[in-house]
Amino acid sequence: MISRARLLPLALLVLAALMVSPATAHHNMTAVFDFNDRVTVAGTLTDVDWRNPHTNFIVEVKGPGGVIEIWKIEGPSPSFFRVRDVGKADFEASVGKSVTVEISRARDKSRFGLIRTFALSNGKSVSACPQNC
Amino acid sequence: MCKCAQIAVCVTGAVLYFLQPAAQLLGQDLNAEAKSKDAAEARAKRNAQNFQNNAKVLTLLDRYGQRTGQIGDRAMYDVVVMSPDGKRIATVKEDLDNESADLWVADVATGATTRITTSPRTEFISSAVWSPDASRLAYVTIRKGHEAIYVRSANGQGAEELLYKNPGAFLNLTDWSLDGRFLTFAISDLSGGTLYILPLEGGPERKALEIFHSDLRIFVPLFSPDGRYLSYIMLDKTDKIEVFVRPADPVAKEGPWQISDGSFSPGFWARSGKELYYQARDQSVMSAAVSTSPSFSFSKPKVLFRQPVPVPDPLQCVSPDGQRFIVLPPARGQELQQITIFDRKGQVAKKVGEPALYSGPAFSPEGDRLLVAKNDIQTGQQDLWVLDIATAKATRITGDTRFKTTALWSPDGKYIFYTALIDGDWPVYRKPADGTGKEEVMFRYTPGAFVGVSDISPDGKFLVCNSGGVVLLVPLLPDDPAARKEIEYVRDEFTDLTARLSPDGRFLVYVSDEAKPERFEAYVLPFDAAKPAAVDKKWRVSKDGVTVTSNSSAMPHWRGDGKEIFFRGLELNSNDLVMMTADVETGSEFRVGTPKVLFRLKGPIDGSLGAVSRDGQQFVLAINVPADKTDKRATAK
Repeated sequence: MISRARLLPLALLVLAALMVSPATAHHNMTAVFDFNDRVTVAGTLTDVDWRNPHTNFIVEVKGPGGVIEIWKIEGPSPSFFRVRDVGKADFEASVGKSVTVEISRARDKSRFGLIRTFALSNGKSVSACPQNC
Repeated sequence: MCKCAQIAVCVTGAVLYFLQPAAQLLGQDLNAEAKSKDAAEARAKRNAQNFQNNAKVLTLLDRYGQRTGQIGDRAMYDVVVMSPDGKRIATVKEDLDNESADLWVADVATGATTRITTSPRTEFISSAVWSPDASRLAYVTIRKGHEAIYVRSANGQGAEELLYKNPGAFLNLTDWSLDGRFLTFAISDLSGGTLYILPLEGGPERKALEIFHSDLRIFVPLFSPDGRYLSYIMLDKTDKIEVFVRPADPVAKEGPWQISDGSFSPGFWARSGKELYYQARDQSVMSAAVSTSPSFSFSKPKVLFRQPVPVPDPLQCVSPDGQRFIVLPPARGQELQQITIFDRKGQVAKKVGEPALYSGPAFSPEGDRLLVAKNDIQTGQQDLWVLDIATAKATRITGDTRFKTTALWSPDGKYIFYTALIDGDWPVYRKPADGTGKEEVMFRYTPGAFVGVSDISPDGKFLVCNSGGVVLLVPLLPDDPAARKEIEYVRDEFTDLTARLSPDGRFLVYVSDEAKPERFEAYVLPFDAAKPAAVDKKWRVSKDGVTVTSNSSAMPHWRGDGKEIFFRGLELNSNDLVMMTADVETGSEFRVGTPKVLFRLKGPIDGSLGAVSRDGQQFVLAINVPADKTDKRATAK
């Protein structure tokens, strides 16, 4: 569904546009993530949390000197995937395997990001958008 | 020169990314269940209802606010931009079934339309501008994961050309200078806004020049006809809009100048460069005499016209000669809302006050007062009011430009709780219901996260809220609101909304899409504030779906004695409000009877959580009524 506010004055249109649908998302992504800071994270998917308000994933990345970096990746809500051609099982099948995720990094520069694309271990690529971008 | 109010679509469109060619991607197409006959039919009905209620026709006004004609077909318009020669209008129209939006051109004289772009599913054109000679259109969309400005012929022929690849997001493209050398756009998010101009010399590696940055959000920059100045709008922390002008030269020392004292539109330049137009908060169309030589100057804006209708339509666009103004009147005609109380048979028991722009009426616990949200046409401000049912005497609760929602009475009727948007956040507040005293912050949630209040425990010790499909409990201790921490009470992979406590506090009714995607049902859970819900033990109350309205309210409500649950039934074939009821028992074990229709009302009607009286005998709703077209407040020049 296209989510647009209607019959509202301009100010409220803006508000409504900035306000993501409560049914599908939790916070305004620009409050937490910097869309100008794109990072590609390649590593092993170790955890999948398939609950609202967002799916969450843990990807372990071998950093400099072999040190393992833990990246927390936020995805769209499970509701987004319920009607789409990709689902929980696709992600869970990649646990313990190599994945590549393009993210918008958190504004605090922590190892936390918002999914833009998610390349599963079977080579399939998932777009997290438009719901979560 | 004539440009349109594109903020909403620029922001929403900018958040719609499509990162790879469709053939390689998952996550864009519907799955087999969503494509099933039943699901497809339900989606088609929802889309048809949406179109019926919201599709509009481009309508022309003259300088006196009189309607002089219509252009093109009825559609879901997001962007409306008149060509520099005033002969055509570029629009972005939504395709609800394809979840996309595309660029079209309509001929003003004939209404004939030409399709310019054809987007894949879920892809959007988010903004568009005309070249000065009206031969081309530049527009913003996202391809292969990158937002960019493209250009193509305004007759729809030929290939598109990449003009500029945005390294980030939220590009709000709104003008092309008359000398053809520059585009201008703004980029805004919750961290602030920046104005840019883009020199068009060179190739796709062009660099945008920053003109100005602010902690406030900036939208819709428009070049003065001589290209020396930009008008633009800024939104303050409470989302109050003002029109400003500043030099298009980033190193110029003059300006900025605030033109408006409250606005609902961009500042549109006349081609003569001698007038600037905008729509004031009272919806009057204003005109300020301006000059850009030798420097910018302006006179105090005057009312050019006020549309001779009770609820003026938002201004979309002004023709270059300043003679034609384009608006999008509401699909169902001019409407106000009459606060109306119904009995259990759906018969009118009482009308409270006069029609106005009301929403969300809610009974006080004692049933003698109503809480309502009211949009004031004169101030353009939405506020909460308490109405005495017997006398219709109104008491103001809030008085500011913030957007407020999910307003509820405290169980003792002494306070009003509500959520208000401030600087991108949604704190929960309360104020005394008698209109006195100060607003108190009760709870702050994750930055940028919407949180709605759905109930307050009978002892007033915690709030029941929902955010992102999760039911939250918010203990109102400790005393320091900043230290209060939510408990995720119902959190699973389903969208769970609008939870409400039974009168004895032992059960919780809520709505969830657990049974089927894109469809909600009402459920009851045992409730114990001390531990998260055991969601495996629950009872389904509804059988054939519930309607979740635009304010996420399916109106679940317990009768005061806990023996009945009301909810809004699912109705896809019409706009009707279908009030459902189910007998329940809350003894040692919960029991629910077969739901039945209590009454039907012709809609569309939004519902609110306080729409049912505590005793379950009365229902209060804001009923749409035709507005008086001979409104005496309307004035013409």
